[in-house]
Amino acid sequence: MALYTSSKHAKFLATGLPIYDFLAPSLLQASRASLQIRHLTKAKRYHSAAASNEKHDKSPSQPSRNPRSGADAASNPPPLKKPLTQAQRDFLTSALRVNQAGELAATLIYAAQTPPIISSHPHLRPLMKHMYDQEATHFSTFNALMAKHRIRPTAMYPLWTLAASALGWGTAIMGREAAMACTEAVETEIGGHYNGQVRVLLEMAEQMEKNGDDIGDELKDLIETIRRIRDEELEHLDHAVEHDAKQAVPHELLTGVIRAGCKGAIWVSERV
Amino acid sequence: MATRTRLARLWPLSKPSALPLIRPYHSYDHPPPPGPFNPTESSILEAAIPHIPTHGFTHTTLSIGASDAGYIAASTNLFPNGAFSLVHYHLYTQRLALAKHQHIISPPPREGEKPIGIGGKVKALTWERLMGNKEIIHRWQEALALIAQPSHLPTAISELSSLSDEIWFLSGDTSVDTSWYTKRASLSAIYAATELFMTTDKSPNFDDTRDFLDRRFKDVQIVGGTMGSVTQWAGFTATAALNVLRSKGVRI
Ligand SMILES: [Fe+2]
Ligand SMILES: [Fe+2]
Repeated sequence: MALYTSSKHAKFLATGLPIYDFLAPSLLQASRASLQIRHLTKAKRYHSAAASNEKHDKSPSQPSRNPRSGADAASNPPPLKKPLTQAQRDFLTSALRVNQAGELAATLIYAAQTPPIISSHPHLRPLMKHMYDQEATHFSTFNALMAKHRIRPTAMYPLWTLAASALGWGTAIMGREAAMACTEAVETEIGGHYNGQVRVLLEMAEQMEKNGDDIGDELKDLIETIRRIRDEELEHLDHAVEHDAKQAVPHELLTGVIRAGCKGAIWVSERV
Repeated sequence: MATRTRLARLWPLSKPSALPLIRPYHSYDHPPPPGPFNPTESSILEAAIPHIPTHGFTHTTLSIGASDAGYIAASTNLFPNGAFSLVHYHLYTQRLALAKHQHIISPPPREGEKPIGIGGKVKALTWERLMGNKEIIHRWQEALALIAQPSHLPTAISELSSLSDEIWFLSGDTSVDTSWYTKRASLSAIYAATELFMTTDKSPNFDDTRDFLDRRFKDVQIVGGTMGSVTQWAGFTATAALNVLRSKGVRI
């Protein structure tokens, strides 16, 4: 644990990490190409981080991600490994809690935006549905992880429900560009947030490997899941920019306010 | 900057407490963190438990436990909380013992019978936990007096909320929305009230306690049902109003 937080070590890790796990703005321009790169590097990075596990392409619907019943958990005690440290468990707890809150908000934003947007721009129906469906999958993925790992949801749940619906509906009323600017702002924050989590988790994995501990499938799966979801969020960001998010007036003010709101919500959800 | 924020993220967000009672992040790959008692403490407390019916939640019981476990009676110095350690150990071990009730948690499927639902499992496990107090219930008011001391109250409250969480988890509940809070709060209230009722129950097999518990669960169902339909109604009305406006050509 002492090693883990020593600044010298962290600095080494920070510089030693490959560039593609940082949210580089230049990736946002050429959407298809950048996604390709992200997928390729993802696989490569994975094999260097986690010794070997060929059949790792798990979908969120696979049983391993579903919460185990208490019975199952009780009759198959975990193998003998070192317990996670308090700091590690705290990080995982707040990370999953804030992710669930974020995906709750995302589903509600898209759900609230959809009716006003498609009534004035019917051709956007498939896109809105596609993005909503992906958010709904993210939400259920994190719901299952929360239940499985026995994590308390954020106490702000009712407040986020209201705020997200209001944000989605409000921006949709302002028009297509404003709605897309909202998506742009939210997905930029979320993409960066997921990137930050992946970095911390990779550091955690590297540290555990160095100490000779097995990081286990649970954490490997979690890293893969967050990466996959991060890529989908960045895809939403690309869609928003393709659909004239930048043309929203006043673009800077709107995205600035929404991004500040996201930052605040993330900060609060990590804590309460 | 990036390094600094990341470092900050590795510090525990919650203040490290001496009693890791609320276990965040239940891992299946890694063993749980150590419990609140070390092996020596556990062996003394375990040896002391059988003496509670006779000597109560007292220092005497603790000393007898220490000598039974092969330590000198002065080893009770190990317990700065004194007799409260017995209360805490009882709460802790009885909570963990719930996982052993496999016939409730995952009953074998029976022909032509509806499988027991989450609600039924919650009731059954709550009852089993109350029955864990059977041997010491005539001494439980001593324990309550210890619990009520300000320095012990946080531990006891934390144990109560862990108990509710354990019961909902073992029953297979997977809801992680606002109901997570209401479910745990109402079960804690029901359990605390019934446990108190049980200290004065003289009926055979605690039949009166059983009735009391059933009534408490019914009360919550009525309140919970009403609350649920009010929220549903509000949501429905809002959606209906929006749809009427939309049908009139208003772009909202
Ligand atoms: Fe999402
Ligand atoms: Fe998204």
